[in-house]
Amino acid sequence: MSRLVFPRRQFLPAGLLVAGLVVAFVVTPRLRDGVAIAVAVVIAAASVAVLVMPNVRQAHPVIARALLTLVALDATLLLTFFLSATTDFNLAVGAAMSIVLLGLSFLTGASGQISLGNSAFMGVGALVVAMWADHHATTPIVVTILIAVACGAAVGLLLGLPATRLRGPYLAGMTLAFVVAFPALDNLFSSWTGGDAGLELPTPVTSPHWLAGYFSANTSSFTLGTIWMTDMTVIITAVAFFLMANLFASRAGRAMRLIRDNDVAAELVGVSLPRARVLAFIVSAAYAALGGALWTLINNSVSPPTYTLALSITILSLMVIGGIGTIPGAIFGGVIYAYSTNVITWFTSHVGIGSQSNLASQMPGIVFGALLILTMLFAPRGLTGALHRLREWRRDR
Amino acid sequence: MNILRTRRVATLGASLLLCLALVSAGGTAVTAGAAPSVPGVTATQITIGATVPLTGIASFGYNEVAKAANAVFKYVNARGGVNGRKINYVLKDDCYGTPGFGCTGVPSTPTQTRALISIPVFATVGSLGTPTQDSVRTLLKANGVPQLFVNSGSLDWNDPTNYPGLFGWQTSYNEEGKIFAQYINATFPSANVCFLGQGDDFGTDGLAGLVDGGVTPTVTDLYSVTSLVLTNGANIEPYIANFQSSKCTVVVLDTIPGATDAALGAALALGYTPQWVISSVGSDPYTVFTPLAAKGLTTDPEIGAVSFSFLPTPGSSSPWIPWMYKVLEADPTDFPGFTSTSTLNGNMEYGIGWGVAFVEALKAAGRNFTRASFLQTLTSTTFSQTPALLPLQYTPSDHQGLNGGFLTKVISSTEVAPITGKIYVTNSLPGGPVTAATKFSTGIPSWLK
Amino acid sequence: MDAFLTSRIVSDILEGLTNGVIYGLIALSLVLIWRSAGILNFAQGAMPMFATYLGVIVFAGDFGYWPLVAISVAAGFVLGGTTERVLVRHLYGKPEINPIVVMVGFLIVLEAVAAAIWSTTPRGIPSPFSPIDWHLGGQPVALSPFSVYEIVTALVVMSLVAALFRFTKLGLQLRASALAPEVSRLLGVRVNRMLTLGWVLSTGVGTICTVLVASNFFTGLTPQVMDGIFAFGFIAAAVGGLDSPVGAVVSGVTIGIILQFVGDYVNSNAIILTALIILIVSLMLRPNGIFTKSAARRV
Repeated sequence: MSRLVFPRRQFLPAGLLVAGLVVAFVVTPRLRDGVAIAVAVVIAAASVAVLVMPNVRQAHPVIARALLTLVALDATLLLTFFLSATTDFNLAVGAAMSIVLLGLSFLTGASGQISLGNSAFMGVGALVVAMWADHHATTPIVVTILIAVACGAAVGLLLGLPATRLRGPYLAGMTLAFVVAFPALDNLFSSWTGGDAGLELPTPVTSPHWLAGYFSANTSSFTLGTIWMTDMTVIITAVAFFLMANLFASRAGRAMRLIRDNDVAAELVGVSLPRARVLAFIVSAAYAALGGALWTLINNSVSPPTYTLALSITILSLMVIGGIGTIPGAIFGGVIYAYSTNVITWFTSHVGIGSQSNLASQMPGIVFGALLILTMLFAPRGLTGALHRLREWRRDR
Repeated sequence: MNILRTRRVATLGASLLLCLALVSAGGTAVTAGAAPSVPGVTATQITIGATVPLTGIASFGYNEVAKAANAVFKYVNARGGVNGRKINYVLKDDCYGTPGFGCTGVPSTPTQTRALISIPVFATVGSLGTPTQDSVRTLLKANGVPQLFVNSGSLDWNDPTNYPGLFGWQTSYNEEGKIFAQYINATFPSANVCFLGQGDDFGTDGLAGLVDGGVTPTVTDLYSVTSLVLTNGANIEPYIANFQSSKCTVVVLDTIPGATDAALGAALALGYTPQWVISSVGSDPYTVFTPLAAKGLTTDPEIGAVSFSFLPTPGSSSPWIPWMYKVLEADPTDFPGFTSTSTLNGNMEYGIGWGVAFVEALKAAGRNFTRASFLQTLTSTTFSQTPALLPLQYTPSDHQGLNGGFLTKVISSTEVAPITGKIYVTNSLPGGPVTAATKFSTGIPSWLK
Repeated sequence: MDAFLTSRIVSDILEGLTNGVIYGLIALSLVLIWRSAGILNFAQGAMPMFATYLGVIVFAGDFGYWPLVAISVAAGFVLGGTTERVLVRHLYGKPEINPIVVMVGFLIVLEAVAAAIWSTTPRGIPSPFSPIDWHLGGQPVALSPFSVYEIVTALVVMSLVAALFRFTKLGLQLRASALAPEVSRLLGVRVNRMLTLGWVLSTGVGTICTVLVASNFFTGLTPQVMDGIFAFGFIAAAVGGLDSPVGAVVSGVTIGIILQFVGDYVNSNAIILTALIILIVSLMLRPNGIFTKSAARRV
């Protein structure tokens, strides 16, 4: 950004205007209406960001982050119109997962605590949404989600209180025990939670009628419904990321990072260790619950056997590969989660491994585990760290 | 500085508004595309799909069911298909809905079902599992995709008011329980009966049938599948020990084969020898004994157990048995090395049973059909020439499927035989009586031979 | 006397003891790694599992039970040493999370590779000890030749490890390297070799435990066989204190017995819930484990 020579910037609004005209008269008749409008909004938002950002970033960081989020959100929404229904669905699943990764990143990266319990917090959010929707079908979806997040935060508080006194492996052990005990807890209240079988939502999420007008007439309701669901998920994800970005930069976030790096110094400076640790737990639990709640809405059902230790380990792996304690890392992790199975399946079928063989079905595990080890050994800051180093290397040339 | 910034923002705002105005004026709706056709059906092919456990705790044995049905489809395809269309069967693995270390990366049932809907498939046929199929009912209904011949005996599939496209196939666990109850009351009149069932409809429906048929177990236990996976079956042992100390002489198991194995093994170690009464889906001798043999057992603890079936036993004289061998021998891809001396196990028969039913329904629907007309055909035709010993009949108000069967005894590690050969029918209504069947299937249709 | 031995309480104690020594062994192997390398090894169940597959399945037809066990344990030694040399060596001195994540990755890879090669179908390792309980007066006693074999083997292994640490020079060197590596180096102890040895020992102990579990008629050998046991073993080690081998064994056995009672008198679900409660309560009272001598915090 800072390398842009000043005179060039003046041509930007004119250039964007020309682009808008081209879009309106040349591109639009070949696309669906909704797409064209999204394109225009993206261009508009990008131009606002480009022109306003450098000055605003120092003075009003919150607005700068909001603009950046808006641009990313627009681009993603635009993308969903072009992708197939299956790819959109995977994107929604991955977006919800990235919310969970963000929460864990905050806990681990910002405050140094290791938690394996996130899949259980996801399960809490997922179950609460289903249980509430089954009994109170008229509550607006957003309210149901907020209730699920609140429950997740409450459980995070419950677990976070004992966690304040624990160090490293003991904390990991406690969260491990919690996630292993989650199926038993679920079965204990099986009359509410449906036990192992889980619950189904009474009606699936469907798109509102006005959406259909933006697409060609032969778009199926299945595709429309998927696009709507994916877009809603992406919007909620964007909001969650925006809030987290502000939290990272806030005083509480800085205090967390100080605790991670040197807790004695933090105490000397006056940071309350137990309070900060509990806050980190609550935030990460709330985010995990949000991710789980979205999964229930996306799948239209909750299946408690999904939320096991294996999922917690997957979450940990994705966060490490993406980059611990970073926001782009959570996005990378979410994308990897969404599409890695497809990529791996494509890979095994092209390399000639029989699709029904043991090797093919275990390939995701082999790839994941190997990636985790290699990342930790050679690139401990994950993909984000590697990209940073690449950028620094290019800058130094 | 402020004036400059205001000017910049103003320029921008103006260009933004102009863009939007031009875009809305310039946009035109794209015209509609091709005429609507039946999803999944072309002139030469019909595509159907299913989510089945190809990996995981329930996969051994159960992964043969859909493959056996597919063998039927391949056999029919080799003879020109049905009404000129070949059947393309797409299988997706959902690990019985129990993801874990053994099933890393396996997508959930809703994800796989969505993938099937996107293909698109005409219907899902033969998806397996009670909780797995419960979780996708509203998804399939909302997208108008029929959910046919669900491989499970739960009563959930019989809900025509809410789910007009949802159909079961096998005799329900409830009806099986009633028939078991009648046998137990007649043969072990004053025995202490204990019940172990899976912690979902499989267990609860079976128990309800048992109680309704007049047998109230002294001890009732339900096990969790996740716990079964985590403890490798060790979670079953305390239940069996409890049964032994409660002095039960008859134990009813509504369990999947993995749990049946755990129960039999636990009883063996405890020196406990009750009369076992095992549900049809969890008692196939080959499926039950093979893992036990792999652990070093030489005698099959299941011998002497009572079970239930609605398909002809391999030793019977039904003309379907040689036909099944013919079909499986013609499919070396999924059944390599299957010859006339191989064992025909219960999973294969089950798959062939509903595979034939689907093929016959497809034939009866005619060359030109829609989803609606196909469902209409299903509920107005009696299929009395399928491998099941009883005719298969659906009505607009009853989507359950078969409604009876006969009692069997496990006589070796590969075979069951009928106890009396008498076939019973009942229904799943409370108090529904168990009576002897009067209508039976009438052999193989000529066009299928 | 007969009635007492076959009574429910004694049965539960005996069964709990049989389970508990298994937890104790895994907890012990976790403590061995922690004391020698300061690393929490999440692959503590998976590495022995792989070694057992190597030893047993690969040579299954060729040898009898005892040679197969010996080969598995040897494979465990080799695997432990190799892992330390190749993987873990790079991780000393790095932030706490690095070795945890690497071992988690190792866990995933080992289980996936084992399942890819040998599939997830359970294998049996028929042992010369019958799993059928003895009977007294027609009632089963909760002990069979096999469970006695398990208990005796576990006790022997624990005693050998204790003897190694307490009475041999090697044990002294191991303890010194863990406690004060720099001073030990100055005194001529080959600290790096001691670290490797710590891993070798720990994986060996884990492999013996896995062989016992895999020979158990009910479980058999699968790639996931040690997952649940690792969780309970970890809980036992955390309760007893990661620094204390004695604590690991004692808490493993005690927890095994308590959980057996809970499973019998309450229900199956309550087992893991009780373990969770035990863990939380004990960590509340003693955040570094019950048997740890409270160490001063390094500032």
